[in-house]
Amino acid sequence: MTAILEAHALGMQYGRRRALTDCTLNIPPGHVVGLVGPNGAGKSTLLKLACGLLTPTSGSITVLGETPGSGREQLARVGFLAQDAPVYPHLSVADHLRLGAHLNPRWDQGFAEQRVAQLGLDPAQKAGKLSGGQRAQLALTVAAGKRPELLLLDEPVASLDPLARREFLKHLMESVADNDTSVILSSHLISDLERVCDYLIVLVSSRVRLAGEADEVTAAHHRIVCTRREPDALPAGLHVISAEHTDRQSTFVVRSDTPLPAGDWAAEPLGMEDLVLTYMENAEASPRPVTRDAEVAR
Amino acid sequence: MIWLTWRQFRTQTLLAAALLAAAAVYLLITGTQLRHSYSADLLSCQTQSSQYTCAGLLNGLQTQYNGPLDLLELLVMATPALVGIFWGAPLIAAELERGTHYMVWNQSVTRGRWLAVKLAAIALASIVTAGVISLLMTWWASPLDTMSGNRFGTQAFNARNVVPLGYAVFAFVLGVTLGLVIRRTLPAMAATLAVFIAVQFLVTIVVRPNVMPSTTITMPINQTTMSQAARFDRSQAVTGPVTIDLPTPAGSWGLSESPALNSAGQPIPTSEVLTCWNQMISRGPLVIKGGNKPFGPLGACLAPLNLHVDVSYLPADRYWPLQWIETALYVALAALLAAFCFRRIRRSS
Repeated sequence: MTAILEAHALGMQYGRRRALTDCTLNIPPGHVVGLVGPNGAGKSTLLKLACGLLTPTSGSITVLGETPGSGREQLARVGFLAQDAPVYPHLSVADHLRLGAHLNPRWDQGFAEQRVAQLGLDPAQKAGKLSGGQRAQLALTVAAGKRPELLLLDEPVASLDPLARREFLKHLMESVADNDTSVILSSHLISDLERVCDYLIVLVSSRVRLAGEADEVTAAHHRIVCTRREPDALPAGLHVISAEHTDRQSTFVVRSDTPLPAGDWAAEPLGMEDLVLTYMENAEASPRPVTRDAEVAR
Repeated sequence: MIWLTWRQFRTQTLLAAALLAAAAVYLLITGTQLRHSYSADLLSCQTQSSQYTCAGLLNGLQTQYNGPLDLLELLVMATPALVGIFWGAPLIAAELERGTHYMVWNQSVTRGRWLAVKLAAIALASIVTAGVISLLMTWWASPLDTMSGNRFGTQAFNARNVVPLGYAVFAFVLGVTLGLVIRRTLPAMAATLAVFIAVQFLVTIVVRPNVMPSTTITMPINQTTMSQAARFDRSQAVTGPVTIDLPTPAGSWGLSESPALNSAGQPIPTSEVLTCWNQMISRGPLVIKGGNKPFGPLGACLAPLNLHVDVSYLPADRYWPLQWIETALYVALAALLAAFCFRRIRRSS
């Protein structure tokens, strides 16, 4: 099967500001991909490049094997839900479904109506009168109702309260489960995505720091505590992501693509949240894009 | 796409239709009254067979309708601007501002097609709106236009026949373009108004008089020609030029008139006409009333000086070519802007 998203040295520049630099990715199909990074890291840019709203200034990107936004067929295969879930305030909920039905060849009206009913939305309600959570759900319904092969969601839960977050993600998973839809969703908080995504991309200051299957990524990283030493003193094959030293002790977060060798240290696995935070904190210290090595290693 | 365009544009369409209907009712009622008065006046002219009374009657009618005429011409000239501001500018800018372009441009419809349907449908609505209001206006004002014979006047030209249709298409696409470039609705609306007014000024003042070749004739100054003159101005200084306002042929557009020239083609100083001027003044105050033009005796006095005036004008039959050329110019500008929008929207996000 073709990759969900394949990017080679992808770059995007707005004037002199680099929004995305040298991004190389190959996301295999059938995943729910979490795209994590601090605000302004380039997550929105990457998603907009993937749906064809932006054209890259350097490098190349294909989505489901085709150039993003290259025509009606490609548009039909990719759904996009923008940040803050924009909807037409003067159109009713039912009008939004009609919009989807008129503009998409594979529109699933039954699914869309059922979802609206499930959510308890009044079809006659103007979308401008909906709460933030309801608006996000409506926008998700429109994006999912066209039955895309890939659904791109930009910070879908950022503006929602915790309960609405859980509801939204639950509905999202229900919507995509039946259809083998791949999903890429971004957030600046890994805790939002931890439960749903099985593939992880960490993006910090316009560069990809980490990309891979969630369980492989967590399996490859450890926190090791040992007597005080320099990172160079660790065995080859251990990439040091972060290092902290006290008078007598050193704590490293390391990545090893082979099982962690035994040594004179105490090793413990890292939770996804710790792992992502480590990458975000140490972004400036390790300018080397980690994916490059990961690609080679694979 | 057509459904969505209609759904988003429904309120505006109905509002425009209601306003047009109200304007139509007003124009049809007052236009019919105007026609009645006009034919009644003409009838009494013929029975009384007095030219003076006739001119007076028709003058009265014109004066009576001057206010409404000005207002209605203003309305017809404002229609394209309103179309540009309220239909054109928000078309893309409002989507960009609300972020709804992210939703609509990610349905299975390319941005090019989205824009094409929206532009075509609302440009058509703009043409229909301007067409209806211009048609009504042209019908309403035709008795007044016949009386004044001044079809080339700025308001009379800009608010009749086909040019308003060209203005409307241009203003609409201008609004769309500025909305796409500025990306915010209110500034785009303001910019649309400013640019539209600037273009109208430029075309009316600079382009229109020069777009077709004008005719220049030499009119001698004698009793016959001077009896038609509307004005005769001497300069304060005796060395200054003498200007005479001689009428151009009926229905034509007078573009420029030279000062009084001698047989060598040189402007004459005021001192040369002082004798005749003083003669005229000594006969008492001038009264210009109705069709009465009192400069005939002055012309007779000036005739031996062998003076003439060069008058250039556009003949009456240039009216329709000029209307079509100007309409075509605005439509061409609109097409250029539309082409720019199609290029630009592919790179817009």
